[in-house]
Amino acid sequence: MSKRGGSSAIWFAVPAKVLLQRFAFLFLVLAAFGIMLLSKAETIVVEKVSTVVVDVFAPIMDVLSRPAAAVNDAVKTVRGLANLREENIRLTHENERLLGWQEAARRLASQNQALQSLLDFKPGPNSQSIATRVIADSGGAFVRSVVVSAGNRDGVRKGQAAVSGAGLAGRVATAGYRSARILLITDINSRVPVLIESSRDRAILSGDNSAMPRLTFLPANASIKAGDRVVTSGHGGVFPPGLQVGQIVITGDGIMRVKPNVSFDQLEFVRLIDFAAVSPVVPQEEIAVPPKKAAAR
Amino acid sequence: MTPTLSHRLDAVARKVVPAALGVFFVLISAIPFYLPGFGPVAPNFVLMAVFFWAVHRIDLFTSITVFFIGLLLDILVGTPPGINAAVLVLVRTVAASQGKVFRGKSFLVLWWGFGLVALASGLVIWALTAIYHLTFISPLPIIFQMTMTVAAFPFLAWIFARTHQKLFQHV
Repeated sequence: MSKRGGSSAIWFAVPAKVLLQRFAFLFLVLAAFGIMLLSKAETIVVEKVSTVVVDVFAPIMDVLSRPAAAVNDAVKTVRGLANLREENIRLTHENERLLGWQEAARRLASQNQALQSLLDFKPGPNSQSIATRVIADSGGAFVRSVVVSAGNRDGVRKGQAAVSGAGLAGRVATAGYRSARILLITDINSRVPVLIESSRDRAILSGDNSAMPRLTFLPANASIKAGDRVVTSGHGGVFPPGLQVGQIVITGDGIMRVKPNVSFDQLEFVRLIDFAAVSPVVPQEEIAVPPKKAAAR
Repeated sequence: MTPTLSHRLDAVARKVVPAALGVFFVLISAIPFYLPGFGPVAPNFVLMAVFFWAVHRIDLFTSITVFFIGLLLDILVGTPPGINAAVLVLVRTVAASQGKVFRGKSFLVLWWGFGLVALASGLVIWALTAIYHLTFISPLPIIFQMTMTVAAFPFLAWIFARTHQKLFQHV
C-alpha cells in the first residue's frame, strides 16, 4: 500500500515539476510582456520602480565606472603631452582671438545694460547648476541615455537641461534620490525646441538614435545653410534659451541634421541647469522644495 | 571546516554566485567605457553569459534569475523594461533545449549556435523596440551590436569556461 502511495507521489511530483518549469517559462515571458505594456500605459509606477532600482545600483556603478574614467583620463594626458607644442601654439592663437572677443563682450555687456535700463527690462531668473559625474551610459543599441550620480538630494529635478562644456547634452528624464537619468538629444524620444542662430527660424530637434538628430517642423521658407549654428529656443520652458546645440549638416538625402557640439563618447561630467524652477510645465509641489546643496558629486 | 559546513557553503555559492555574476555583467554593460562609437555597439555580455551557462549548466541559471537579470539590464541601460527579460528567458530555454547539440562538440559548433541565437535575439529586440515606440527604427545599430557580440564570444566563452572550472566544477 505504502509502496503504491510512494510511487503515485513520484508519478505526481515529476510531471508537476516539469509542468511548473514549463509554466515558469510561459509565465515569465508573459510577465515580461506585461511589464512592457504596463510601462507604456502606466508610466508612473514603472518609472518609480526603475528610479529606485537605479538608485540602489548607483553607488556600485559609481565605483565600477571609475577605473574606466581613470584610464580615459590617463590616455587624454598622454595624448596631451604628445601634442604639447602644437597645442600651445594653437592655444596662444586662440587666446589672442578670445581677447578680442572679450573686449567685444565687455562693450556689448555695458551697451546691453544701458539699453536694459532704458527699457526697464526684467531680467530672467538666475539659473543654478549642478555638476555631476556620468556613472552609466546605455549599452543598448536603441537607447541614448546616461545615468548621473546626483539626484533629488542634490537638487536635481525632472526636466532640467544637461549641458557639457560645449553645449546641450540632454535633459533629466527621471530623478531618483541619488541618481538621475539623462535622456540625450540623440535619443529617439528626444524633442528639443531650437532656433537657427543666424536666421532665427524655429524648429524641433528630433532624435532618431543616430549620432546626428534631425531638424523637423522647419518653416518652408527657412533660409538655412550647412554650418549654421543651432541653439535652444527656450519655448516650452524646459530649456533655457540660447544654449548651444550644434551645427547644421545637410546629408546626402537632403535631410537637415544637426551635428551636436557635445562628444557623447567622452561624456564624463555634465552640468544640470536648474532652469525649470520658473517653468510653468513643472508642477508646484516639485518646485516647492529648495535644493539642499548644489555641490559636485 | 567540517564537511557539512563546506557543503552548505557550496550550496549557498551555487545559488548566489551565478546570480551575482549575472548582475556583474549587467553592471559591466551599463558603465561607460569612453571609447569612440563603442557605447551603442558594445557587445551584449549578458546574452553571452546566459547562453553559455544555459548550454553547460542549466541548473545554475534558473528562469527566474535570468528574468530578473534581464529586467535589471533593461532598467539600468534604459531600454523599455521587459524587452531583455523576455529575450533572455527565451534564449535560456532555446539554448537549454539544444544543449545536447553543443555539449562535447568542437567550439566552432557552439560559436555557430551562438551566432544563430544572437541573430534571432537581435531580430526580436529590434522588432519589440519598434513596436514599443510605434515607429520604424533603423536595424543597423543592433546588427553592429550583435556582430560585435558574436565576434567577442570566443574570448568571453574562454573566461566563462575558466570561471566555471574554478567555481562550479564540484558544485
